[in-house]
Amino acid sequence: MTIQMFEKPLGMRDDFPSIVKRKSKLSKVGIKIMEQFGYEMLQTPSLEYYETIGKISAIADNQLFKLLDNQGQTLVLRPDMTSPIARVAASKLLKEKMPVRLGYYSNVFRAQLREGGRPAEFEQIGVELIGDESLYADAEVILLATEILRGLKVESGRIVIGHTQLLQEVLRGYGLDAALAEKLRAEMVAKNKVAYENMVDTLVDDAEAKSSLKMIMNTTRLEDWQQWIDQTDPVQRSLYEDIRKLKTILDRNGLADFVTYDLSFTSHMTYYTGMVFEIYGEGSGFPLGNGGRYDGLMKQFGLHVGATGFSLRVDRLLEAMPAEQENPEQTLILYNEKNEENAHKEAEKLRTAGTRVTLQFAPAVKAQEEFSSLFSKVIRMDGENNG
Amino acid sequence: MDKLTIAMPKGRIFEEAYELLVKAGFDLPEELDDSRKLIVEAPNEGFRFILSKPMDVPVYVEHGVADIGIAGKDVLLEQGRDIHELLDLEISRCYIATAGLPDTAMDEMTPRIATKYPDIASQFFRSRGEQVEIIELNGSIELAPMIGLAERIVDIVSTGKTLKENGLVEYDKIVDITSRLIANPVSYRLKQKRIDEIVERLRK
Repeated sequence: MTIQMFEKPLGMRDDFPSIVKRKSKLSKVGIKIMEQFGYEMLQTPSLEYYETIGKISAIADNQLFKLLDNQGQTLVLRPDMTSPIARVAASKLLKEKMPVRLGYYSNVFRAQLREGGRPAEFEQIGVELIGDESLYADAEVILLATEILRGLKVESGRIVIGHTQLLQEVLRGYGLDAALAEKLRAEMVAKNKVAYENMVDTLVDDAEAKSSLKMIMNTTRLEDWQQWIDQTDPVQRSLYEDIRKLKTILDRNGLADFVTYDLSFTSHMTYYTGMVFEIYGEGSGFPLGNGGRYDGLMKQFGLHVGATGFSLRVDRLLEAMPAEQENPEQTLILYNEKNEENAHKEAEKLRTAGTRVTLQFAPAVKAQEEFSSLFSKVIRMDGENNG
Repeated sequence: MDKLTIAMPKGRIFEEAYELLVKAGFDLPEELDDSRKLIVEAPNEGFRFILSKPMDVPVYVEHGVADIGIAGKDVLLEQGRDIHELLDLEISRCYIATAGLPDTAMDEMTPRIATKYPDIASQFFRSRGEQVEIIELNGSIELAPMIGLAERIVDIVSTGKTLKENGLVEYDKIVDITSRLIANPVSYRLKQKRIDEIVERLRK
């Protein structure tokens, strides 16, 4: 029985002081940059109704932590921040202030399905820009995300950009029936080139369509996209024009070498309606974050406005951030009963001067040598000699 | 040049896959097979091979400790991991099938299936509208029907010889299996040029 008290539920982690320190630095840097871009921080409750947030969020049902409140209503621990923020934004209060810029630094919960190695609770830092349908809003959130990465000194980041609506229009342009187009899209979501190519081979009859469809999963540059864009189709033309303008803005901000334009990049989340992106960095085997335009989600809250945003995973950012070298000075004052008052005075003096001081009643420490070795400076006020 | 870490399955698939890489013109050291090392360097290409159990290759790749890997489709189907599946290498061809003692029916109340592939097995029977009890085993699956642990097994069949020798017959073919080249999603984006080049050379 006693053992169980020391165990944690699957995927739950303790943060030791060194991690807490890095996290607090990360949040300080991130929040400052978001505020500089005019975003206001928002906090929402950890618990939400399953019927609204649980069902609307794009997280699979079996990854939700569910519980019952005392009325018998099903609640969920929030699995993401985008849907709660959309809920808030749909309230009357914010509706009149559109476009509204909101930022967050919050923990979210996703139950573990398989083995460990992944946290079931983790922090996300991100923004939502609600009430702006223009490509300039999309450009703003991408630039903001990269600014945060720069602020955290995450080097060698890479962004992959796709466009869900344009992809759908292109597939539709081949005259594929909706079910087949959806199947092809599903293989793109699964990142399964083998199955995608096999499917095109067996299900598409026209030889020309076959060879050009097969190439979609190989695009890396925006210029590559042109061969699939039907310039006579006004929708495709204007969507492509948008993403071309977006590229111009990103290039102008020095991102030309950091962005891959992959027409087949898309998301399993069906509420994404436009530009989608994902961010990668060396040091983490998993994406650092992702984002995109999700006008579809706002519609579910009865709001016909554009919305775009991103979220970055704090645990993965910590893996990609350079290791901290600096070790701040930490002074230890060991005192005995006689010097107690003087020790407090000394500590106060040093603290006012900006030094970190730990006050410790010497007789209470069993292993004084080991304990003292944790500090950069030791002041003995317990009647013993320094050193 | 950045080092590229490649997860390879030990055993039969390894030899075929290694040969494939050599044929594609990659400059690899000879005689790796009898080495007991778990990590082998190929300095001329900037490759580092890690040798693991076939079932573990997608684990290394998903977590990003290996950039790319070679894995059987059976393992990919069973585990459903978040990786890029880039190329069908068309080696180690076999298929997954159900088998059992000849002329036997499944138990009506509690049909039991022994397998190394619980997910594939349960999905297959569910797709036929049958709910079965899965018994997970780690090897010598053919034993299960012979000694009455289960009426059917779901397992890899390459020549059918093992089934025959143990007096079992195949009932349904579930899916064809070959080995695939897979990539970690982050590595794929950060080292896309190099990985795409490997894909192209192996495709030929």
